[in-house]
Amino acid sequence: MSSPRAAGSKGGRRAAGRDSATAWAFLAPTLLVVLVFTLLPALFALGASFFKMDIVSGQASWSGLKNLSYLVEDDKFWAALRNTTRYVLVVVPAQTALALVLACVLNGRVRFKRGFVTLLFLPTLTSSAAMTMIFMWLFNNNGIVTQYLQDHFGVTVRFLSDPAWALPIIMLMNVFSTVPHFMVVFLAGLQEVPQNLYEAMTLDGAGPIRRHWEVSVPQLMPITFYVLTMGLIGCFQVFDQAFIMSGGDGGPEDSTLTFTLLIYHFAFKTYNTMGLACALAVVLTVIIVAATALLNRFVKSDGANT
Amino acid sequence: MSVVAVLRWGGLGALALLCLAGGRAMAAERITLAVWGSPPAEARALDLTIEAFTRSTGIVVKKETIADKYMDVLRSRFAARKTPDVFYLDSSEAPMLIKSGVLEAFDGRIDDLPDFYPQFIDAFRGDDRRIYGLPKDYSTLALYINTRLLAAAGFKPEQVPTDFNALLEFCRVLQARLPKGKAAMIYEKDLARHLSAVESFGTPVINPQGDAALAGNPAMLAYLQAFVSGRQSGYVLSPKDDLGADSPAAAFGAEKTVMMMEGNWVLSALRKDYADVPFVTREMPRVNGRPQTMAFVVGLAVSRFASNKAGAFRFAQFMTQRGSTAEAVTDWARLSGTLPTRISVLAALNLSADPALAAHISGARYATVWSRGIGLPIVNTNFGNQFLAALNGSKSVRDAMLRAEQASNRELERQR
Repeated sequence: MSSPRAAGSKGGRRAAGRDSATAWAFLAPTLLVVLVFTLLPALFALGASFFKMDIVSGQASWSGLKNLSYLVEDDKFWAALRNTTRYVLVVVPAQTALALVLACVLNGRVRFKRGFVTLLFLPTLTSSAAMTMIFMWLFNNNGIVTQYLQDHFGVTVRFLSDPAWALPIIMLMNVFSTVPHFMVVFLAGLQEVPQNLYEAMTLDGAGPIRRHWEVSVPQLMPITFYVLTMGLIGCFQVFDQAFIMSGGDGGPEDSTLTFTLLIYHFAFKTYNTMGLACALAVVLTVIIVAATALLNRFVKSDGANT
Repeated sequence: MSVVAVLRWGGLGALALLCLAGGRAMAAERITLAVWGSPPAEARALDLTIEAFTRSTGIVVKKETIADKYMDVLRSRFAARKTPDVFYLDSSEAPMLIKSGVLEAFDGRIDDLPDFYPQFIDAFRGDDRRIYGLPKDYSTLALYINTRLLAAAGFKPEQVPTDFNALLEFCRVLQARLPKGKAAMIYEKDLARHLSAVESFGTPVINPQGDAALAGNPAMLAYLQAFVSGRQSGYVLSPKDDLGADSPAAAFGAEKTVMMMEGNWVLSALRKDYADVPFVTREMPRVNGRPQTMAFVVGLAVSRFASNKAGAFRFAQFMTQRGSTAEAVTDWARLSGTLPTRISVLAALNLSADPALAAHISGARYATVWSRGIGLPIVNTNFGNQFLAALNGSKSVRDAMLRAEQASNRELERQR
């Protein structure tokens, strides 16, 4: 599109106009979808967060910032904040580190590499609902894991009904299902690292571990930034696993209550609180933006080699 | 292919054609009905009732089964103004929809009103005293006793006390005579199981101003403490957390407990899946000297956004009314295994002759309906959360209930 404009002729301008019209035509369907299903609902939610709203009857009354003050004094909000933060702090580093390790191992000379990648990738392909059901089956009171611990170590852990264990099980499940996806992303990144960097390090007498830390890790910085950001956003939005495992309640004792689950409760479970749900959604947006900005300060997205 | 098979398939084909033709001919008269997933016997009974309705009125019913999170789905459908014409509605959820003003009142459309249990009708009344749902059937709680385990411990069913405190004391004595891994009794933590008991001390859990009152009455706290002490001493246990069973009925069926307080919904499983377990039912224990049990009532409601309101009302009437459709109502009760809300139908079916059902039916006279205005879901959630903490021993019953009361009141305020 830039060359006709450089020519500066009348015909060129017309061509440019035609080009941009074509571009808009191609963009229009996507823009329309984004407008109708993302932008307008987001704006609606922002507006609704200042109202008391009963979605069943559609009646709303202005409440200003009252919804925010309700949130601040609500134990469940703090419980959700605590749970979600704990979840993010454990899952994001764990899944990133594990994915990186697996990618580096598979990037070396491993036999049946493709077979391994395929096998490892399977959990990502499984739907999260099915995965949750399988984990519940493994960890319920008569589940294989619980029985094994009972038979061989004599300890009884009620994984799903003990407040101390319910959230860690969901963390484990999420790490298990997202690691393969990020592993493939890292693997693709590793294949882009110039071989001559490794050769130079080898000539300088560096072993495989130093080569890993001083070439692979810095070269993968942009990829790591992507993985961390996506992981962060995904973790803040954790919903389905907690929903299925607690039957939608966020129990036992609010231990699996996450932000999104609480939004769902406000929206559909209690009367007249749709506005509160929207206010919480706005708060969650602010938290995610802030966390991503913070991440951006510590991890350089454009890599360490610049 | 045998002749019978040919006839059967041919018949089916003809039926399908008829349905198609019929559907086209009666395109004007249609209603949609939303129901939740129910056991096969009940689902079949509903299909038969629908067929009878279509035969008698010519109105075609499109049944939609919402398998999970029934009320959440329904609420979102109301928000989108795309609702079924007529739908099942639980007594505990009715007040919210009534308050939102999205239900049609039945007004003069209910014949022989006194034939219904009055508290069942009241569960569907709005503040304006109008009736917004027709009670279809109900369940109550009763005490289930495994006679084999009881006899092995040297007791007869007649020796099981009818007073709550005496019953808990009996559990303690009984536990000492039971083999390891079996409980004298199991409990459920939800307020839905305890509302009638805690209110028999005279303090309603939601007062007339709409505030929660859970911690103020020492007698009520003592009632809850009995469960906590029972669990800590190991004679009243949780079917899931302590016995590793998926449900109370499964724990009872696997003979892991001698007694349980359950609704008549467990009967079909006990009779089919655990047919070798001998049991009797008794009315729920008296609390504070008063007979008490919970009733869970299901009604039929008509949406304000219904496209065929007249048809919807006719269907609700058909399923619950006496008179011209008496057979339909008795058929429904007989085939579905649910308890009918009309006293006359109950009498006609002679259901009390079933010894297991008798305790459930006599409970209906004094039962507390699981419904307390728009605040109930909030109070229920906070009660369950905090009572669990007390049962786990992480706080005292008083602290737990104070916390539940405070949290409930904070959350109730913002609904107003």
